[in-house]
Amino acid sequence: MATNDKLNDLRARKEKAALGGGEEKISKQHSQGKLTARERLEKLFDDGTFVEIDAFVETRCIEFDMQKKKVAGDGVVTGYGNVDGRLVFASAQDFTVIGGSLGEMHAKKITKVMDMAVKMGAPFISINDSGGARIEEGIDALSGFGDIFFRNTLASGVIPQISVIMGPCAGGAVYSPAITDFVFMVENTSQMFITGPQVIKAVTGEDVTFEQLGGADTHNSISGVAHFKCANEEDCIANIKKLISYLPDNNLSDPPVYQNNDDMNRVSVELDEIIPDGSNKPYDMMDIITRIVDNGDFFEIQKHYAKNIIIGFARLNGNTVGIIANQPNVLAGSLDVNSSDKAARFVRFCDCFNIPIITFTDVPGYLPGVGQEYSGIIRHGAKLLYAFSEATVPKVNVIVRKAYGGAYIAMNSKHLGADMVFAWPTAEIAVMGPEGAANIIFKKEIANADDPITARREKIEEYREKFSNPYVAAARGYVDDVIEPAITRPRLINALDMLASKRESRPAKKHGNIPL
Amino acid sequence: MKKFLIKVNGNQYEVEVEEIRDGSAASQSVQVATAPAAAPTASPAAPAPAPAPAPKAAAPEPKVSNEVPAGAKAITAPMPGTILNVIVNAGDVVKKGQVLLILEAMKMENEIVAPNDGKIASINVSKGASVNAGDVLLSMI
Repeated sequence: MATNDKLNDLRARKEKAALGGGEEKISKQHSQGKLTARERLEKLFDDGTFVEIDAFVETRCIEFDMQKKKVAGDGVVTGYGNVDGRLVFASAQDFTVIGGSLGEMHAKKITKVMDMAVKMGAPFISINDSGGARIEEGIDALSGFGDIFFRNTLASGVIPQISVIMGPCAGGAVYSPAITDFVFMVENTSQMFITGPQVIKAVTGEDVTFEQLGGADTHNSISGVAHFKCANEEDCIANIKKLISYLPDNNLSDPPVYQNNDDMNRVSVELDEIIPDGSNKPYDMMDIITRIVDNGDFFEIQKHYAKNIIIGFARLNGNTVGIIANQPNVLAGSLDVNSSDKAARFVRFCDCFNIPIITFTDVPGYLPGVGQEYSGIIRHGAKLLYAFSEATVPKVNVIVRKAYGGAYIAMNSKHLGADMVFAWPTAEIAVMGPEGAANIIFKKEIANADDPITARREKIEEYREKFSNPYVAAARGYVDDVIEPAITRPRLINALDMLASKRESRPAKKHGNIPL
Repeated sequence: MKKFLIKVNGNQYEVEVEEIRDGSAASQSVQVATAPAAAPTASPAAPAPAPAPAPKAAAPEPKVSNEVPAGAKAITAPMPGTILNVIVNAGDVVKKGQVLLILEAMKMENEIVAPNDGKIASINVSKGASVNAGDVLLSMI
């Protein structure tokens, strides 16, 4: 073969590989509102920066006529490129090639690019669109899944890992996203489940559609498996880019600092009036967060799940912060099983990746109820205590109103190692609410009074005056300062600036044993 | 429901008393006995005619009926608490986000709002009732 022919042969091979499963399958993918693997990567990466590797890898399987079905690339596109100028590694399953099914070599491509991401210390994005394990490859397909899960685990806490579900992701395949840090789903076109509707129908008799069982709504609002629900693939990719903008490349680097055009000394007088006069009146915590962070820009995570706690990223003076805040508008802002899980995992993510933690506390306590106790609120609530205690990143707490009992301790208190605890004058930091406390402490006095109702009311008021304020805690140093709400932003920025050089060492150990 | 502290021979008792409206106590208890589905504690009962509950079973106040008119969507209590105020009436047309009732729980007057535009089909609780998480507060069409 002449050299020129060899060049033409290479070009022909590359062109064929680029078409994946062929034009017919590509148009079918498009008709379902889905982009192809290559189109997705093109949109994700900066123009012309994506470099594909392993385009010639193909299956080694010869069982069940697999040699006739094989396509160069083996159903997954892998490589690296720049996202907003920063190095990112990615894999994208190609549904047009044997349904994006995962076999031995398909998995090897993914694990290779994951190893590179870890070596180079850059985020890894995995786009899932696959029918599952390639049955023809049998145990080799399972081995491939196992290899991916193992690497997901090793890479956890080393590089940010983002999973994007843009089609089916079923059976064992779901466990790679589950181990990664963030899961994106697209409405109507993505589903995740362990066992599909047919199996469920056969085993339990329940009738359920794919969407009801494992659609974006389900995993964003009911199961908590996913973190983001996106209207379509473009919206999804825009959100992935925004998320990455808050994250460092790896655990040894700091998050990127952006130029900030929002005055770092900005005073927000509205904050002085945001807490209602009656301490049992709800309000929207989001109004506090957006008035404090740079340009009011708050990137909420898991916004449809366990809405009694808010988590997300924002910037203060251009620096990434992770925010955790109780939401008085939902379940009175109480801590329950799901909100504890949601917040604890986020705290651990921030701690992995050098992101300072800011909490806004307004928590009446742990949610009472048989259901909560039976669901293990003890061990789930413990995760939050554990996560805050374990975190060594700068930790700043702003107690805006209620901080009662065990929930006060759990919400980034001084006792769990918070570096700075601010309280607003509206704060009520006490062992329990005035009503409950007065009924216990003054039980006898109330009972023996001539007018028990008035006596109780007086005792409640007495307790409220004495203890439901920030000054008892401040007198002991559990609160570092009581501040006017309006100056919260400058005080937080100042605290983070002071804490930038924070160093805190812990006893050497293999790893702790968080109550999972 | 009202709470009283009563002292008998130096021992103190906390007693809860509720006024029963619409007929005598006797007719009320008969009604509960013949309609077990309406009793809050009998929710998982079989649809078949349930055995008449022991007379004592009529004692708990009939605070919540979990029955919802056919086709209506139940709005349930997110957590245990006390109904502070019922703002809407059956038949009212409501907009999404409109406050329907106030549930006092966890030191907070929690606003229960309409999840979507619609019409109130039934009100299942009254002011002062204590509810458990999952109890039907009202229903909407």
